[in-house]
Amino acid sequence: MNEFEIDKRAVRRAFSRAAHDYDTAAVLQREICTRMLERLDYIKQQPARMLDVGSGTGWGTRQLAQRYPSAQVVALDMALGMLNMAREQSSWWRKLFSGRQQSHVCADVEALPLAANSMDMVWSNLTLQWCNDLPATLRGLHDILKTDGLLMFSTFGPDTLKELRSAFHSVDGNSHVNRFIDMHDIGDMLMHGGFTEPVMDMEIITLTYNDVKTVMQDLRNIGAHNATAGRAQGMMGKAAWQNVIEGYERYRREGKLPATFEIIYGHAWKPQPEATTSGAQIIQTSFKL
Amino acid sequence: MDPKLLEILVCPLCKSPLIYRKSEQELICKADRLAYAIKDDIPVMLADEARAMTPEEVEQLR
Repeated sequence: MNEFEIDKRAVRRAFSRAAHDYDTAAVLQREICTRMLERLDYIKQQPARMLDVGSGTGWGTRQLAQRYPSAQVVALDMALGMLNMAREQSSWWRKLFSGRQQSHVCADVEALPLAANSMDMVWSNLTLQWCNDLPATLRGLHDILKTDGLLMFSTFGPDTLKELRSAFHSVDGNSHVNRFIDMHDIGDMLMHGGFTEPVMDMEIITLTYNDVKTVMQDLRNIGAHNATAGRAQGMMGKAAWQNVIEGYERYRREGKLPATFEIIYGHAWKPQPEATTSGAQIIQTSFKL
Repeated sequence: MDPKLLEILVCPLCKSPLIYRKSEQELICKADRLAYAIKDDIPVMLADEARAMTPEEVEQLR
């Protein structure tokens, strides 16, 4: 038995959505954001200062600012263009809903430019899957949190894009799809990173498409292309590409192509410093599993 | 530049405090000799986009 608590409810819900006319990146992100916000209902903490890691165009940041009107919300993203867009939106949003001014900073979650013990809450929706070194990233997030601060996040799990992985596999035996980290491993990383009481669960969301080309376009939008199709496509011949399409077509059901996303949700707390010293022993026992 | 944000910003590499040069719209890490640009009030805290400073330039900040 692991030391960290896994939420065994592991809700497996499936919903289908004809996504070809939507910006799927935004649809998926907003859907997950809404589900994460529901989870905040059980969190009593009222953060004075919070960070939205990978804030994108700021839709989620604005939801957080509305929920915590007295909090200073810092939006962090790698893309300056996204932040500029987010800032424009936040100014009219603030006029409508009041709330405090949001701050924007352009940075990489793997090299945070924020002081230790500066945040009461860190929020991250579908960003951590792009980290090269997740354990180090989690330690960095732990550093910037205050004692009793909360980390809440969502990310992609290993079953994400399994149809595409299989379609590529049938062509050359290589996996062209990024390997996403299992939620149990993320739970372990949280413990090793100094967090306490991690709660993890997952759900499967299936988007449907009309054709493989649209699947690929959407993957580019969510940023999956660097690990998947975008890179492979350039190296693949026309015939091989046709095989990928045929491989994927095998999954067509009721006229639509499914694309599976395994969404991992997690939250964990930064414990009191004295709990960290005794926590070292807990970490050791979990190694014996 | 948002003063509330300035309070909590540090160098992304060494986590040391930064010097705010308002006229240049830069945040400087003396230890790493890097100047991070502030573009339209948004600090760009990416080391590979920061301006490398000469030792002399850093010296003048004292």
